[in-house]
Formats: sequence, C-alpha cells, structure tokens
Amino acid sequence: MTWIKNLPRKHLIAGVVLVLLILYPVINPWQPYPQGVLLLAFLLAVQATSWNIVSGYAGYISLGHSMFLGLGSYTAAIIALHTGINPLWAAPVGGVTAVIIAVGIGWIVLRTRGHAFVIITIALLLASQIVATNWKPLTNGSDGITLELPFWDNDFQNIPFYYMFLVLLVLTVLFSAWIARTKFGTGLVAIREDEGKAAAIGVNTTIFKILAYGASAFFIGIAGGVYAYFQTFLNPVGSFAILGSVLIVLSALVGGRGSLYGPVLGAFIVQFINEGATVWGGGASARVLLFGGILVLVVLFLPAGLLPAFEKAWRKRHPVATEFTNQVGALSHNTAVVRERLEPVADATSSPLLEVKGATKRFGGLTAVDHADLTVQRGTITALIGPNGSGKTTLFNLVTGTMAADGGEVWFDGRRVDKLQPWTRGHLGLGRTFQITRLFKEMTVLQNVVAPLPDSRPRTIFANASSGSEAQRAKDLLDIVGLGSFARQRAGDLSYGQQKLVELAQVLMLEPKLILLDEPAGGVNPSLLGRLTEVIRELNRSGVTFLVVEHNIPLVLDLCDPVYVFARGRSIAHGPPSQIREDPVVLDAYLGDDWRPTTVATSERG
Amino acid sequence: MTQFIQALVLGVLIGGIYALMASGLTLIFGVLRIINIAQGAFLILVATFTWWLWRTIGIDPILAAVITTPLMFGLGWVTYRFVISRIKGQSPSMSVLLTFGLALVIEGVLNVTVGNRFRSASPSYFEESFSIGGILLPKAQTYGFLAAIVVLGGLYVVLTRTWTGRAIRATSQNPSAAALVGIGATATAALAFALGSASAGVGGSILSTLYPFFPASHYDWISRLLGIVVLGGMGSLPGALIGALILGLAETLTATYGGLQWSTLVFYLVIMVVLLVRPQGLFGARIREDVAV
Repeated sequence: MTWIKNLPRKHLIAGVVLVLLILYPVINPWQPYPQGVLLLAFLLAVQATSWNIVSGYAGYISLGHSMFLGLGSYTAAIIALHTGINPLWAAPVGGVTAVIIAVGIGWIVLRTRGHAFVIITIALLLASQIVATNWKPLTNGSDGITLELPFWDNDFQNIPFYYMFLVLLVLTVLFSAWIARTKFGTGLVAIREDEGKAAAIGVNTTIFKILAYGASAFFIGIAGGVYAYFQTFLNPVGSFAILGSVLIVLSALVGGRGSLYGPVLGAFIVQFINEGATVWGGGASARVLLFGGILVLVVLFLPAGLLPAFEKAWRKRHPVATEFTNQVGALSHNTAVVRERLEPVADATSSPLLEVKGATKRFGGLTAVDHADLTVQRGTITALIGPNGSGKTTLFNLVTGTMAADGGEVWFDGRRVDKLQPWTRGHLGLGRTFQITRLFKEMTVLQNVVAPLPDSRPRTIFANASSGSEAQRAKDLLDIVGLGSFARQRAGDLSYGQQKLVELAQVLMLEPKLILLDEPAGGVNPSLLGRLTEVIRELNRSGVTFLVVEHNIPLVLDLCDPVYVFARGRSIAHGPPSQIREDPVVLDAYLGDDWRPTTVATSERG
Repeated sequence: MTQFIQALVLGVLIGGIYALMASGLTLIFGVLRIINIAQGAFLILVATFTWWLWRTIGIDPILAAVITTPLMFGLGWVTYRFVISRIKGQSPSMSVLLTFGLALVIEGVLNVTVGNRFRSASPSYFEESFSIGGILLPKAQTYGFLAAIVVLGGLYVVLTRTWTGRAIRATSQNPSAAALVGIGATATAALAFALGSASAGVGGSILSTLYPFFPASHYDWISRLLGIVVLGGMGSLPGALIGALILGLAETLTATYGGLQWSTLVFYLVIMVVLLVRPQGLFGARIREDVAV
C-alpha cells in the first residue's frame, strides 16, 4: 500500500471523490434531481477543464468557449437528423468539428501576440448564433432541432447520462494532466509567462497556441453531442448562450485557473450556486447580475482562485527550510558536458559558425545597428564589447530573431537565418541568455530548465517534462550551476545572480552550437563567477561556441579570443585581446578624448 | 447606381457613429492596455437612461448627450478609481475578466430595474429624411453623425492641443517615464478611462434613437466595437476610424444587396481576411518583443 502513501495528497482526494461519485447513483438510485444537478456539474467541469488548457496554461483568455458545446450539439444533432443514427454515435464527430473550427480560427488570430484572440472569441460566439439562426436548411433556424428520446427504459432516468458525463470528465482531466506533464504543457505556461522568451528557447509559440486552442475544444465538442441528446432539443439562442461562457470562465477562475483540479472544483461550486439561483427565485436576468457580481469580486479579491490560495496557505503553515546556492557542490561538480545534437554537425566546418553581414536596425531616427559585420569562428569564445548604447544587445536580438532586421544578412552554420522565426533558429542550435534575466517566474526552477525545445519533433514536444530523461538532464544542468537543491522552488523567488545561473542552465537544455551570453557576469558573486568561466571553458572544449557581451573587461580579456569592439552600431576593431587592449581606436571609443593624459602616463610606465 | 450611392452615404453616416463609439474603447486600450468589455454595457446603460429622459421629460434623445456625457465621465472616473485601479500590475487578462464582470453587472441591474424588453426612443423626426439629389439622409442618422463628428473633433483637440492630452499620450507611450516628469499615472489613467466612458455617453444617446435595444444587446455592441478596434489595429485612433467606416459600409452594402441578417457576419469575415493578411490589424504596430516587461 506504499504507492497510495506516495501519491500526492490532491490526487488521493480526487480519487476518493471519484469513487463516491461513481457509487452515488447505485446508493441513491431514485433521486433524479440530485443526479441531474451533478451531471450538469460534470458537464460544466468538462468545459472548465478544457478551457483551462488554452486560457489557464497558455494564458489566452477565451470568452466564447461555450461555442464549442453548441458546435458539438449541432453537429451531432444534424448528423442524427439526416442519417437516423443515434446522436451519441455522432458525438465524437462533434468533437472533431469543434477542433477543426478552433484550429482554423486559431490559425488566423493566434499568429500574433496580444489581445485579438479574446475579442475574436466573443465575436465568434455571436457569429455562430447568427449562422445557426439563418442557415435554415441545415439548422432549422430559430425553430431548433428536436431529437428522439433516449432509447433506454424510462426507469433508468438520466443515470446513463450521469455516467457518460462522468466518463467524459475523467477523460478530460486525464488529458489536461497529461498535457501539463509534457514539454508541450511547460511550453504553454512559458507562453503565458513570457511569450518572447518562450520563442527564444525553441517554443514554436504559434503552433503551441493553436494546438492548445484545438485541444481545449475537443472534449467540449463531444460533450455537446451528448448534451444535445440529453436535452432532446436545441436552438441557436440556447446552444450559443453567452451565459454558458460566463459559467465556464467563472468556474475556472473560482477554482483556480492554471491548476489541474481548480476548474473541476470551481465547476461544482458554480453549478450549485446556479441551481440555488433557480430554486430560490431569480430567473435568467437575476442570474446575470449574480454571476457578474461574483466575477468582479473573484477578480478583485481572489484572483488566483480557491485551490492555489489554499495551497499557498498550506505552504505557509508547513514551511520548508530555505536552501542556499550549493557553492561547494557547484565548485566541485564534474565537468560540464554537452549532449550530442540530433542531426550530425554540418560538414562545412571550414565556414564560420555565425556570420553577420551588413546588419542594420533603426528605431525611428536612431540607427542602433549600422551595417554591422561580425564573424564567429567555430570553437571560439568570441567577445563583443563596446560602450553602452553601441548596439550590442540589438545585434543579439537581430541574430536570435527577437527583432527583425531592417537590412543585412545573418548566416548561421551555413544557412541564412535572418528571415527565420526565433524558435527555428533555436532548433538550429542558436541559444541566448538575456541581459536582464527573463525566467518564467511562476514556474519552478526545474520547469524553467526543462522547457527549452532543441527541435520540433512531436516526440520532443510531447516528452515527459516532470520525470524521465528530460527532467534528469535538467537536474544535471542545475547541479552544474550549483542550484540543484532549488529545483522545486518558484523561479521568481531566486536572487538575481541565481536567476542568471538558471538561465544559463536553461539555454544549455537547448543543446546549442552557439550560445550568445548577454552580460553573464553581472550580479554573480566572484567565486561563482570563477565557476561560471570554468563552465564556459568546459562547454567550449566539448564543442560549444560562445559569443559574449560583457563589461567586465578583465574577464573578457582572460576568457575570450577574439574580441570585437562595437561603437555607434558597428564593429570598429577586432582581434586577439592583447591587440585590442592597445588599440587607440578602441580606447578612444570607450573613454572619449579625456583618456589621453592618463593613458599616456600608463603606457610610458609600461 | 442611386441605390449604391444611397448605401454608401448611409454607410458613412453609420460609420461615423461607430467611430465615436469605438474611439472610447481604443483610447482606453491605448493608454491603459485594458480592453474595456463593459464599453458595450455603458452604451446600453446610457441608451436606457436617454430613453427614460425622452419618455418622462421629453428631452430630445440626441440632445440628451449633454446630460449623459458628464454623467458617464463621472461614472468612468469612479469605476476606474474604485474598481479597475485595484488590479493594476496584474496580467492584462485579469482586466478583461473584470470588465466582463462589470458588463454582466450592468446588464443584470438593467434587467432587474427596467426589465428585459426592447426599447427605442423615437422623436418626431425619427422617420423623416433630408433629400439631396435623390439621396435620402435620414434625420436621426444625420444628427447622430454630426454629433459624433463634433465629439470626435473635440476629443482630437483635447488629445493633441492640451496639457492633459499630452499627459495622456505620454502615459500611453511610457508610463514610468511620464511619472518621472511629474505626470501622476493614476490620475491620468483615471482621466483617460473617464474620457473613454464619456464617449459612450454621446454614443449611447445616439444609439437610443437609431437602434432598438434591450439589456443583453451590449454583447452585439461590444463585439462590433471590438471588431472595429481589432480590424483597425489595437490602440490606434485612425485605425478605429477606418475600421468603423468599413463596418458601416459592410453593413449597409450587405443589407442592400444581400440580407440584413448577414451584415454582421460579413463584417466578421472582413476582419478574418484582414487578420490573415495583416495579423496586427490595419494600423496596428507589432508588439516590440525585445524589452522585458
């Protein structure tokens, strides 16, 4: 029985509740009313759990999700009407229809970041209502469609529906749990936390969002087919009601969006309130006021939802001892090694790994990068130094695709990459860290490190992220930077220096050929800095090339060869560190005219 | 041909009114990055109030804007100070949910107080038209259009020619820098929200004579207005104008040559086609992805 003890408490509770729900109609078979209330709660929980995939995990709020219930209902009903088969057999087709529509819409509105999505979801719900009302030959217009009564004996009442919705709910929760465990799920949360950064670590944000939207439609569509049969009647106003969407959103929000069981818990609460409103007076109109009021109050006073708020309170009462950076562990750790990338290294070994030719980027009147050229040879640790505002970080952004260049070319590993999406460049082996760390603050440290995707194969995307080889690899990388004991902590709770180290571990997960480090030493304490340079050297020995922006000049001169110097958006000098140190052009760019007297004095001494 | 010109003229008249309604939404989004889902409910609230004024006191519905606009300015200010400013710093999606909740509350309050039925203010000129060379200009639409143009012009002057307007535009471009040069961020935000709500004052009064409405009509209105804003590009005022004109023309042209019931659908199709070609909308800028927020 030890496996039960090892099961997390929440799964245990969920299991017990499930058993009780399975037994309920057996124990209390002659009570159609509570069964009816419960089965509607299951239906709402199916919808809220599905909604949670796109709006909870990925953070793209849909206000029109009840549309998929209506789509599923209409698909099943129309098929049943025209072919004479039982609507239940057509219900899966309803799921497929919902997915097709979701993917089609997603493909149009989810390509950009931002707010168009939420707006389109409302419009779509109303548009579907218009279509269902006016496409009379297919939908019978506002008269609606009446279906045959259930084929089973009246004595069974709604018990078959009760179990159908319960099975659908279990499947939906398992599906959602599976998504949350995969790297796909981690990628969705990454999108919610910081979409630009997610793209930089190889997450194809467009495809991920579209898939999430499609996945969030499937079980609702099937449930819609079953629901149509349960009701035996459907019309446009009832099937595409906005109040349905309100209940879905409210359920997920009350229970806790982004968590696995939150939407289920919320759905039960909301369904009971809804039922209470029906019993104790108040028609549809009062209900709008009630749910609107609850929505406002929840957003203002319980934005995280019940379950996460409860978990937070629990952790407060049962604190875990704080841990510190394992400096000793980090300093004594084995050599950092790289995993082999999937595709063989291109045989064009003679060509430079990275070549920037005439790259230009303008911000209005300011030309931040001005026809810059830069070459990074394979196997080097190349430095990029220059005064603040000389365009170093902008150049990084052009190379990794965080920004689109206004002109010029970027070649990586024998391929022209300047028109490619950031994640594609990541898949080719181009990784970067950010000047100001951009970790996914709400995710754990381990999830942060697991998240990067070195390629776009389904096998990689749907690999298990919470245990197995990927998680093990992430733990190893964390040990290398000395943060292994922080794996389960929230990334946002770490200090700035620690976050820098996590970001380095994160980029290593991408199995990059070239790593662009933007001020890796900033905020890291001296002994760890020693370890950091050591890690960089070890990785470099095993074949990783580096391009480093850094203001710590002693570090640069010690670690890097060659050194590029940037000023006013272009490279003004490059060569070995010893040569750069003496170059008057460089000293002029860095220090301006005032340096002359003192440096003359120093050079005389030297 | 006359039919076509007639449809065009009507489309432009309606488009101007849509532009006024959408301007408040786009102003609030531009400055606060908040999608005010309650804007549609504000419109219906004002329309209902205007209808009541017209019915009980006999005030002309479009002239009633003189009363409803300052009221909505105040309501917007209060809403921002006491409700919306509480979730500052949280993810933008929370503001969507909050304003959605506000919209439901307004709808519910209207349902409970004045009842769930269709209304429409019909002043004496309701069915009259000006006739210019065979083209009919319905008086209600024309007055509404003129009022919309006046208010839009006023809004433009406030935003470009006054200190307040500069403060609002500064805050929309860079809130922290604006705060550094002495522009109170919260006060400016409240002002922008109040101005956006005030535009619903005029818009709602005009709406009450042009369209029958009931409490739940706000969904139709908000999805139209949001459609305009998405089509034009989020937060862009010229974009909202063009988007509104396209909606007006799409509606009248579809109503003339197709069927009235398809007109909204045609507009949504236009949005989809535009987003296919330009994912950021007609005048929208892509979000800069280089700066960590």
